[in-house]
Amino acid sequence: MNHRPYALLAELTYRCPLHCPYCSNPARVSAGGELTTEEWRRAIREAAELGVLQAGFSGGEPLLHADLASLVAEARGCGIYTNLITSGVGLDERRAAELRDAGLDSTQISFQADEATLADGIAGARAHQRKLEAARIVRECGIALSVNVVLHRANLSRLREIIAFAASLGTTHLELANTQYYGWGFLNRAQLTPTCAQVDEARRIAAEEKQRHAGRMDIFYVLPDYYEQRPKPCMQGWGRRYLTVNPTGEVLPCPTAASIPGMRFDSMREHSVAWIWNESESFNRFRGTDWMPEPCQSCPQREIDFGGCRCQAALLTGNAAATDPVCSLSPDRKSLDDYLAGVAANDQKLPPWQPRENPAAF
Amino acid sequence: MIAIDSRPALAPGVRLQLDKITGEPVLLYPEGIMALNSTAHEIVARCDGAATVEAIATALAAEYEIDRHALAGDVLECMEDLRRRRLIVFTA
Repeated sequence: MNHRPYALLAELTYRCPLHCPYCSNPARVSAGGELTTEEWRRAIREAAELGVLQAGFSGGEPLLHADLASLVAEARGCGIYTNLITSGVGLDERRAAELRDAGLDSTQISFQADEATLADGIAGARAHQRKLEAARIVRECGIALSVNVVLHRANLSRLREIIAFAASLGTTHLELANTQYYGWGFLNRAQLTPTCAQVDEARRIAAEEKQRHAGRMDIFYVLPDYYEQRPKPCMQGWGRRYLTVNPTGEVLPCPTAASIPGMRFDSMREHSVAWIWNESESFNRFRGTDWMPEPCQSCPQREIDFGGCRCQAALLTGNAAATDPVCSLSPDRKSLDDYLAGVAANDQKLPPWQPRENPAAF
Repeated sequence: MIAIDSRPALAPGVRLQLDKITGEPVLLYPEGIMALNSTAHEIVARCDGAATVEAIATALAAEYEIDRHALAGDVLECMEDLRRRRLIVFTA
């Protein structure tokens, strides 16, 4: 077996104080049956034995997990680099110091926009001011800070302001991620998809600002893939470098894979992480290139983009084994072009988005 | 341009670690992993915020019995690459 995972995404809970319409968490889950701290410790140890060098603690909001610091310490004890991926809500001085002392290496805080009114409107919560506080606390307690802003039609036109805002936070790493349409994001796709004009302008601004901030702040611009001609190399290939453990213990090749109809993912409650990585049907289903249909099978790009994203293929064509419709060579590309041609030119034609809700209580 | 009397250190949030699977050294940072060749490893391991660039080049030259001036260029080139990737920082 040549494959070993390098990074673990530990989704500690689907609960979150924010209600962002672009959230990629599954839209229908129950809160019941979340892994215990002891089960998480085992997941981390087994992931480390398989070769994982990095762990992202995410969710939902990972700060809602009371034992987060002990999980960070467990990961550090296994030699794993630890990254907290958070809204920042709930990160006070005491919590930050506790996480730093547990060995937390870096923290990524998400912002919804550059100013509170728009940001809180997107988050569906009064969160912006608390995020500003959290960013200050992270910086002051000596944890490396990176900033993430998810982009979509409601904030893309403020890209220049958003970048200036991020620079003012004192981060050296800004990720500008155009929305990927999974989970809640797929439900709200019409409200989130920017116009072609917005995308073109944003691309130009991102390139300019990247240059302007070079040497002080690195800007990573995640492209809006519907508007691309080649698919993203999703997860660098299925079951090739990444594994996700979701709140209920399912081990997945990517955080949204559970959305694929008809696929069954094994739980670490029933199997070891190593068995699931190496042996399970789900991890082997789209590994390598044998599963690929044409035009992927004979494509010189097949080990560069790996046929794109399986979840996206499933969402857009109903068949997870299809070529990602983003690819201009896909027989399904026309349906995506038709969708983009129908993207509303102005917001008045759109019904409001559906705010992300928390899982139903058990 | 890197001053030879400046003191390199790993940037905040960057960690040097051995990959348990391969036994090779890697730099870990918020969004990535960088495998180090043995030369880069020797250099990075000495970037402790105390030793100057010059002292690091001298120590490496002595250890490997190479001419210090011949080595200095390689050391600076490696550090410049790491600096550009924001993996090491310099203090005066």
